[in-house]
Amino acid sequence: MRRGLVLVALLVCGLAAFLALGLGFGDLVPRPGGLKLAGEFLGAAWRPALDYQADFVPQNAPAFLSVALAALRKTLLFAAAAMSLSLLIGTPLGLLGSALVPARVRLPVRVLIALMRSVHELLWAVVLLAALGMSSLTAVIAIAIPFSGTLAKVFSELLDEAPTTAYRALRGTGATPLQAFLGGLLPVAAPDMGAYAFYRFECAVRSSAVLGFFGFPTIGYYLKRSFENLHYREVWTWLYMIVLLVLVLEWWSAHLRRRFVA
Amino acid sequence: MSVAQRVHELRRQRPRDRFLRGSLVLLAAVVIYAWFGGDVRVTELFSERRAANLARFFGHDAMPRPLRDAEGGGGFGALLQWVGQVWREKGATGVGATFAIAALSIVLAGAYGLLTAPLASRTLMRCDPYLSSEDCAWWRSVSISFRLIAVALRAVPEYMWAFLLLAVLGPTAWPAVLALAVHNAGILSRLGAETVENLPRRPLAGLRRLGASRSQIAVSALYPLGLGRYLLYFFYRFETCVREATVLGMLGVVSLGYFVVEARARDRYDELLLLILFGAILVLAADFISWLARRWLRQAK
Amino acid sequence: MAHSFAAAAVLRGIDLRIGAGELLAVVGPSGAGKTTLLRILSGALFPARGRALVDGQCLADLLQGSREQRRQLRAHRSRLGFVHQDHALVPNLRVVQNVVAGRFGQRGLWRALRSLVRPDQGDSEEVLRVLERVGIGAKMFHRTDTLSGGQQQRVAIARALFQHPTALLADEPVASVDPARARALVQLLVAVAAEIGLTLVVSLHDLGLAREFFPRLVGLREGGVIFDGCGADLAQSEVDALYLLDGHDQGQA
Repeated sequence: MRRGLVLVALLVCGLAAFLALGLGFGDLVPRPGGLKLAGEFLGAAWRPALDYQADFVPQNAPAFLSVALAALRKTLLFAAAAMSLSLLIGTPLGLLGSALVPARVRLPVRVLIALMRSVHELLWAVVLLAALGMSSLTAVIAIAIPFSGTLAKVFSELLDEAPTTAYRALRGTGATPLQAFLGGLLPVAAPDMGAYAFYRFECAVRSSAVLGFFGFPTIGYYLKRSFENLHYREVWTWLYMIVLLVLVLEWWSAHLRRRFVA
Repeated sequence: MSVAQRVHELRRQRPRDRFLRGSLVLLAAVVIYAWFGGDVRVTELFSERRAANLARFFGHDAMPRPLRDAEGGGGFGALLQWVGQVWREKGATGVGATFAIAALSIVLAGAYGLLTAPLASRTLMRCDPYLSSEDCAWWRSVSISFRLIAVALRAVPEYMWAFLLLAVLGPTAWPAVLALAVHNAGILSRLGAETVENLPRRPLAGLRRLGASRSQIAVSALYPLGLGRYLLYFFYRFETCVREATVLGMLGVVSLGYFVVEARARDRYDELLLLILFGAILVLAADFISWLARRWLRQAK
Repeated sequence: MAHSFAAAAVLRGIDLRIGAGELLAVVGPSGAGKTTLLRILSGALFPARGRALVDGQCLADLLQGSREQRRQLRAHRSRLGFVHQDHALVPNLRVVQNVVAGRFGQRGLWRALRSLVRPDQGDSEEVLRVLERVGIGAKMFHRTDTLSGGQQQRVAIARALFQHPTALLADEPVASVDPARARALVQLLVAVAAEIGLTLVVSLHDLGLAREFFPRLVGLREGGVIFDGCGADLAQSEVDALYLLDGHDQGQA
């Protein structure tokens, strides 16, 4: 009953949003140029570029595939650096934000967590670019701030939901709350925390790729450039690279999860 | 054997998970290489030029305009007036459009996920107890293709989808809506499929034995049993959708991001930060809505 | 230090004295107050009326008392092994880590943490001895959730023994174990307790097991003591009274 009501309400919301945005289905038909572009673009899907598509390539330009590998490497490394930083900041924040901690500490921490994660990493990037200027570290910090917040939020929720039988048993043996937490609650929640962190790593890779749109040397940078130069086969190369990267990470995380969590 | 020797022997023979251990070592190596391999240079941050940049940004650029020009009135009243003005001229439009984009796209994505979840799950595709062996291959290929589609949809970030769609569709809100919808459709399809897979097997098998067809099972068991869980996921994704919608405007669609970029182009960083703050408040509000909805749904059970 | 318990007024006027080194089974239908009684004895719960004394000291007073007295309460708990119905182990830690955690209450934070990450030689050897005593020495470095239910309960017993307890409390330790294994577990508990001279209080659902292994039985029903004495002296009428179904119970059964 209640769920049915939710479904109806959602449909109404969607319709209201549709009207509010002033959208028409006519707009869904691509512009004349757009149709041609879409055709060319989709046509290129079967032949991703393995070399530069441009007619003129400077002689000393590195091979296309080595550029691709370098972009892939940067994307992955920025994500790894950002994720490690997020774990470093997000884990203690998550512990401090869990229900075990007295309210006078927990509540300010939760506000901080909410502020960190409510601003998108691309907006952090815009602000940090203005404040710090272009640097690899700018990208890393831009990703790390909201990701720390998200990790902290989910970690504290996982800790709050973890079964407390072992924790209470240790308290029963005279262990202090901190000891019982470290020996009886944190290890219980750890597999889920690890699995979530790994999933966020996958998200960090995507974010790192997108940050290229702002000039960082990750996949997004090259994708944008190739697209603006109408080199669609190159664009597909970049797209396939991201999909492949995400697929590998997902396979990896699924395997880890299977032996870790279940 | 002495106790010490026995301990040593047992520790040596302890069951080890090579895959897990290898994964951890590999991840640690990647992280260390990222920080120390020269790709991310921490020292870059501490140059004098950057310090000066930072000081200028916070001392001047980011300072709200009314507070900056003391002669222009200054004070708290002027600040409030300025906030109100930015809200009326840009914030309200941006926030409204952002929310609408997120709402429409998540509904579209939710519909796709709802329809494809049983198809993408392994449950209905299993030979036992649902299928006779001859059509097994066909259904398995259906399941695999829907899962592959879901992976491809969600692997490409929303921002890139929007970038590509914008070129095709032109600057309406559609590219943003579709980009969010497509990415989240991939995610919800997968989460829905997982929900279906995690449903208790027995009632489903029972229905099958009673002679129910696959679609009858889906309608009479899968949806009623799985809908609650699916809706929880749906509202989780709604949260992230609003967050993503704020930035898609940076590509030129009217959402908050559009005004952010525009403020940057005019070097009005005080305005830019205020707009980001509006966005943050919107995201927190969406969080709250999603939390309320999820709580309401949980209580229904 | 030897533990002797004296509890009074649990739920419905219970007056129970348990001497040091006594082996005692608390029997009765579910809902009779067995768990409550054990939790009061362990100092995890305090009676609303009446007092629970350990070695002549009131536990509730310790909790309310000075820092030193609260420390005493902690010390009391740290020397009291408790085996829970659901093991209360961390499933994804290795057996040795779960056992070593038993002594956290007697250690500082740093030492406790270090023993969890990698127990030193002394700890390891002692853990192995305890595990061998309960019959699962070979599983020392296995992940706890790879063990069977009965084996996990043995890990829980090992953790309690590792505390160097003066008394062992076990709340329905065999509730989720099949009958043959349940008998072996109870036998093990009694044998270990007798061997070290521990006070042992076990709550059991199964009257047969209690009669077979325990010299003293306390029958609880609806929060009151129905009988207290030797199992052999138990008359059939008393057994019937213990498990007698009254009106509203029958409705549920």
